[in-house]
Amino acid sequence: MAMQTTMDRAEGRVPITIMGLTGELDASNFQQLIDDVSRLYDEGVRHLLIDLTELSFMASSGLVALHGVLRVMHGEAPPDPEAGWEAFHAIGRAVQDGSTQSEVQLCGAQPAIAQVLQRTGLDQLFPSHVDRATAIAAF
Amino acid sequence: MDEAASRHLRIEADVERLADIRALVREVARACRAPEVCINDLVQAVDEAATNVIVRGYHGKPGWIEVTARLVDANIVVTLEDEAPTFDPTVVPAPDLSIPPQHRRPGGMGVHLIRLATDGFDHRPRPRGGNILTLTRSLDPRAKEDR
Repeated sequence: MAMQTTMDRAEGRVPITIMGLTGELDASNFQQLIDDVSRLYDEGVRHLLIDLTELSFMASSGLVALHGVLRVMHGEAPPDPEAGWEAFHAIGRAVQDGSTQSEVQLCGAQPAIAQVLQRTGLDQLFPSHVDRATAIAAF
Repeated sequence: MDEAASRHLRIEADVERLADIRALVREVARACRAPEVCINDLVQAVDEAATNVIVRGYHGKPGWIEVTARLVDANIVVTLEDEAPTFDPTVVPAPDLSIPPQHRRPGGMGVHLIRLATDGFDHRPRPRGGNILTLTRSLDPRAKEDR
């Protein structure tokens, strides 16, 4: 299943790169998201908004990708794609630590995706907004 | 129940075919007039289960998965059958932050989501080798956490 990405830029208090995801994020394409963000980071992007408005499905591999995106945007190596369990615990530790970050934010999550984020605790790691305008104002 | 409320699909064990499995589940659930919350739960659970079979069961080796989805009373029941090495995902422990990384088993995220999204999650070994996994989701319009 192909997942399309779009790129936009916005100026909030900081320069923001907006990545829009369209389609379904699953085990067949989650690595693409990590790779795309790695390239953006190498190009100097430091504030990323991921727009989920057009994303209709997110598997647990998509959650691993989001966690990987966070690591990449903090200058760390992305997690081993096979280490789903470790990624889950790393997310849990970060939530327990009360880690907050604002470099990567989300917007437009449909109810099914918002529920997956909530069920796995990722909603506590990523500031999430209703739409792009609200998100851009929050950076 | 119309005919679309019972469907069967056999695919090669390839993550590129996960979208076909999700499409089948959506088709059956919509034919059953399942509420959106129920459809989303079922699609999530079946995708996670099939992904585990493909990625961790067959581990890149050729194989197949048979998916059957049907309405049984007020439940949608999805059965996944494969011939990967026998593995019971229903015994994967719930996330526990006290477990050291070296003792953690892979696949925990998917299984965690399956448990939250289904009302029934059962495994039995396939008589000629492999696994039969049965996922059941009631037509209840509420998420499991809200009941």
